[in-house]
Amino acid sequence: MSALEFANVSKSFGDVNALIDFTIALEEGELVSLLGPSGCGKTTALRIAAGFETADAGSILLGSRNIIGLPAHERRMGMVFQSYSLFPHLNIRDNVSFGLRVRGVRNEARKKRAEEMLDLVRLSDLGHRMPHQISGGQQQRVALARALATEPHVLLLDEPLSALDAKIRVEVRDEIRRLNRDLGVTTMFVTHDQDEAMSISDRICVMNSGVIEQVGSPRDIYNNPATSFVAHFVGSINSLPKGDKQILIRPENLVLTTHDQNAQWRGAITDITFVGAFTKISVRLENDDAPISVLAISTQIDHNIAIGLNIGINEAAQ
Amino acid sequence: MKFFGKIWPRLFIAVAIVFFVAPLLSMARFAFQRIPVISLGKDNLLKRWTIDGLLTTLRDPEFTHSLSVSLKIAFFTVVVLLVLMVPTTLWVHLAAPRWRGVVETVTILPYVVPPIALVVGVSGTYRSIAPWFLASNYSLVPFYAILAMPFTFRSLDVGIKALDLRTLVDAAKSLGAPSLRVMWNVLLPNLRTSLINAAFLTVTVVLGEFTIASLLLKRTLPMYMAQAQGREPQGALGLGLLILVLTTILFTLVSIIRKRDATSISSKNINGGMVP
Repeated sequence: MSALEFANVSKSFGDVNALIDFTIALEEGELVSLLGPSGCGKTTALRIAAGFETADAGSILLGSRNIIGLPAHERRMGMVFQSYSLFPHLNIRDNVSFGLRVRGVRNEARKKRAEEMLDLVRLSDLGHRMPHQISGGQQQRVALARALATEPHVLLLDEPLSALDAKIRVEVRDEIRRLNRDLGVTTMFVTHDQDEAMSISDRICVMNSGVIEQVGSPRDIYNNPATSFVAHFVGSINSLPKGDKQILIRPENLVLTTHDQNAQWRGAITDITFVGAFTKISVRLENDDAPISVLAISTQIDHNIAIGLNIGINEAAQ
Repeated sequence: MKFFGKIWPRLFIAVAIVFFVAPLLSMARFAFQRIPVISLGKDNLLKRWTIDGLLTTLRDPEFTHSLSVSLKIAFFTVVVLLVLMVPTTLWVHLAAPRWRGVVETVTILPYVVPPIALVVGVSGTYRSIAPWFLASNYSLVPFYAILAMPFTFRSLDVGIKALDLRTLVDAAKSLGAPSLRVMWNVLLPNLRTSLINAAFLTVTVVLGEFTIASLLLKRTLPMYMAQAQGREPQGALGLGLLILVLTTILFTLVSIIRKRDATSISSKNINGGMVP
């Protein structure tokens, strides 16, 4: 039995179909990301699971129970939002224990649990502070502690890292992964950032225009994209002519060659971008308008290559 | 140029101060100096000051009665307004943003409809169907609630806009709080400043309203003051000054609270991803 299952869930806002026949099952303890561009329906799916939106059709099973129609406050879903959603009038400890307070847990037990949860996100010395006195990254970790304090059936994360700056984002991301593994809590993570989804998920569900394009492990999604949309959305990809058809190939699966006169493709270098360990080289093929990109390990680049140089490209040996 | 650039604002402020303070000083001299008005001059500026007139008025049972009537009416007006307007404003923001314009327009009505029209219309209706309602002092409550509606709505509207209302409500619900709990434990505490503001503004409206009370023949504080001006002018003016000073102190307190709350909200936004 799955921990959370969407079965043929549909939802439209006026003429817009936000979600069409959405079907996916999350296993116990699994972290599944809903990945897609904005407007693809991922947040709608999450909000339907949380009980903030009602589905037009379909059912949602929490364990064996259909929770369609159950009000949000009775679903026991922990949720973390994109904007820092801590209650401004409560200190950190009271924020974390809020869910226990509305459930009527005694003061002592509440305090103890709040301390445990703050310990878990390594913020135990900030319990007395007010939300505005701590940083954005810390606020999101408190929001995680607060969502987990009531031992929710499922943890729902709605782009929780989007408002954070790059370095803090990685920290909180790793924190989420660690909590998911340590506590074994089933987690649904909504994001538009493919790197985030790749690094955190057990499985990724790629969505577009309200429809699931592919569900699979990050490796699977990247190496064997089911549709052209998935191939283009996850990582970058080149479309190259081979015989009488076009093939899709990742930039890191191409190699440049200066001496092979029988290279599969030829073109002129239009741009060279150094991005640390890798260097991205853009090449405009003969008879082709859109430049393709080749990703090479920076240390292995032939130092003769320069913008304007005519160069050969081959598929890398698999 | 620079000289004029500096002098004009200062001159303007000086004129404004004279404009506001001079009548108050004159009022104070009239109320608290036992000297005939015709002899008040700069040579007797510090002579024969007394608060006897004010004390006589404060001891007048008519005064205590009208004050208690006005305070009771103020209290019930605040209650009625908050009970009506808090859920309405929250509803407009959460569920029906399209209706915000309509609600805003409705709250401006007291500016558009003159009090006399309001009273004649409403009292005409009640005189025939429920005369007991107009006989009670509390018949003023609905009128005053309407008069204070623009202040209450705006105060709440501004307070709600400063919150991330939708997320706070969703967060509280996902933590297991039913709607009433969300309102009581999350929204009202965060709207504290707005609520205090709205309440104070309502009280000042009630304590200063004359037309409707006079038309309905109620013995409220403003009515008492208007009548006392004929009997005991010094005491009435002294009382007026006292109320003015007390209201100013109250509003200073409110703005201090508001500033403190605003600081905590803005620093929340500034903090971003930085470690303090």
